[in-house]
Amino acid sequence: MKKILIIEDDKAMVNELCDLLKGANYFPLVLKDYNNPLEEIFSVKPDLILLDINIPYMNGQLVLQNLRKQSNVPVIMVTSKNTEIDEVLAISCGADDYITKPYQANILLLRIAAVLRRVNPNQEFYSYKGIIVNMQKGVIQSKNQEYSLTKNEMIILNYLLIHQNRIVTRDELMTVLWNNNEFINDNALTVNISRLRSKLMLAGCPNAIETKKKMGYILL
Amino acid sequence: MKLTSFIKDRLYVFILAIIVFIIYLLLFMAFHSPVELIVAVVILHFVFFLLSLSIDYFRKRSFYHQILSHVLKLDKSYLVLETIDVPNFYEGELFVQILYETNKSMCENVSMYQNQMNDFKEYIEMWIHEVKIPLSSLNLMVHNHPSNYDRKVVYQLKRMEDSIEQVLYYVRAENATKDYFIKKVSLDKIITEVALKNKDDFLENKMDFIVENTKVSVLTDSKWMIFILNQIINNSIKYKKEESSYLKIQASDKIDCTILTIYDNGIGIPLSDLPKVFLKSFTGVNGRCKRKSTGMGLFIAKSMCDKLGHKITIESMEGEFTKVSITFYKNTHFDVVR
Repeated sequence: MKKILIIEDDKAMVNELCDLLKGANYFPLVLKDYNNPLEEIFSVKPDLILLDINIPYMNGQLVLQNLRKQSNVPVIMVTSKNTEIDEVLAISCGADDYITKPYQANILLLRIAAVLRRVNPNQEFYSYKGIIVNMQKGVIQSKNQEYSLTKNEMIILNYLLIHQNRIVTRDELMTVLWNNNEFINDNALTVNISRLRSKLMLAGCPNAIETKKKMGYILL
Repeated sequence: MKLTSFIKDRLYVFILAIIVFIIYLLLFMAFHSPVELIVAVVILHFVFFLLSLSIDYFRKRSFYHQILSHVLKLDKSYLVLETIDVPNFYEGELFVQILYETNKSMCENVSMYQNQMNDFKEYIEMWIHEVKIPLSSLNLMVHNHPSNYDRKVVYQLKRMEDSIEQVLYYVRAENATKDYFIKKVSLDKIITEVALKNKDDFLENKMDFIVENTKVSVLTDSKWMIFILNQIINNSIKYKKEESSYLKIQASDKIDCTILTIYDNGIGIPLSDLPKVFLKSFTGVNGRCKRKSTGMGLFIAKSMCDKLGHKITIESMEGEFTKVSITFYKNTHFDVVR
């Protein structure tokens, strides 16, 4: 489980962030000692840091600059300052991404996943119940057959695979698709899911995607 | 400075001169002076009189003429004091001194208001950053604790967020300080961000979102551009038709510019309202009939485009479509510097 360190001083915000990250299978940690943030960072060794710019004692950018002298741990700046200058400054200090409050929960999770994936390059092959999913070629391969998936179907399958055995809401799938410039509507998503189902069935995996009424889908 | 007005102003001098002249005549007659003497004195009297008047006139004329013509020509006429020669007569000196003093006090007054404005702007910005924290907490809470009201709560939160953003960018766009930062940004990225912001609205309203050929880079401030697009898209969603509505974003790359068009098949804008949509607080027929509108969105978008150097135009046919085009000009200098 990936450890994510939250550096943020608003209590309500910290609680909700912790809940959100736990729900998404991350292990959230909260910075306690604002006097020596670096020492604490090095002692807990997080996989990723969510860093607010306005924190007590020190400025987030300063913390980042000092951190970058010694470590390459991925950092996402989370802030309510939303000018281009703030963003350029944050990136030039060494932030991997920059997200402004208020953000949608799903989008924050996507950004976190994207940064983590950039650091540990994605495996291009997933195997699922005897099927090999080849992201690069956009195909699923069973023992002796190959079925090509459309971009949308691949995005959906990829997301379901990453979150296997957990209910994935339609909203989550929509967010991922729209984030990949596939601005589809509700009907199209339903169609995509059913096509993906039939392709998985042809490849020898019937009933892989189960519909949970009013909640979403789950890849078993 | 007109000669006739100058003379009219000096009428009392003429009257006095004639009275003095009559007194002279009476005196000369009383003492039986010779006619030659009378004529000589009269001529001298009038020569001196006219000479002193005309010297006075020409000294003042050059000064007032200069100051008046400069005032009319300058676009910032309060700076006229810096452009004129120092007058060589007492009245003029007084006049310049008075102008200087009033100017100074006005400058102090203006800078006081400027400082107050800046303080106010800073406070508003700070307040907005402050209020965004509970807003994002609320967003996360809704996500973490699902209930039956989710969609409604999220929608209301988004309305709040949009209104807050509008205040923020109004303050930024209306202020003289430079709050933007122009660099090369991909339109694609901006559109994705705006799309994600409005995803729920599009899906809820069953409005299709179509994007074509937007893989181009333009010179702009991405944050400002996101806000501008958001205003336009919000309007499209607000004024959509009931059936099979869609919004289409396209970009076309020209030699010296890139044009981004946002087209919707909504209810359109009446011809009489069209020239006024970018005016402050203009709501028009649509704004009054449909939903309460502040009339600020497009006004702010326009003034931001002006600041960034983009051209924004709107075309529409009532009942058919609305098409907003934003033109981003290319800057060869920028490419060279890069």
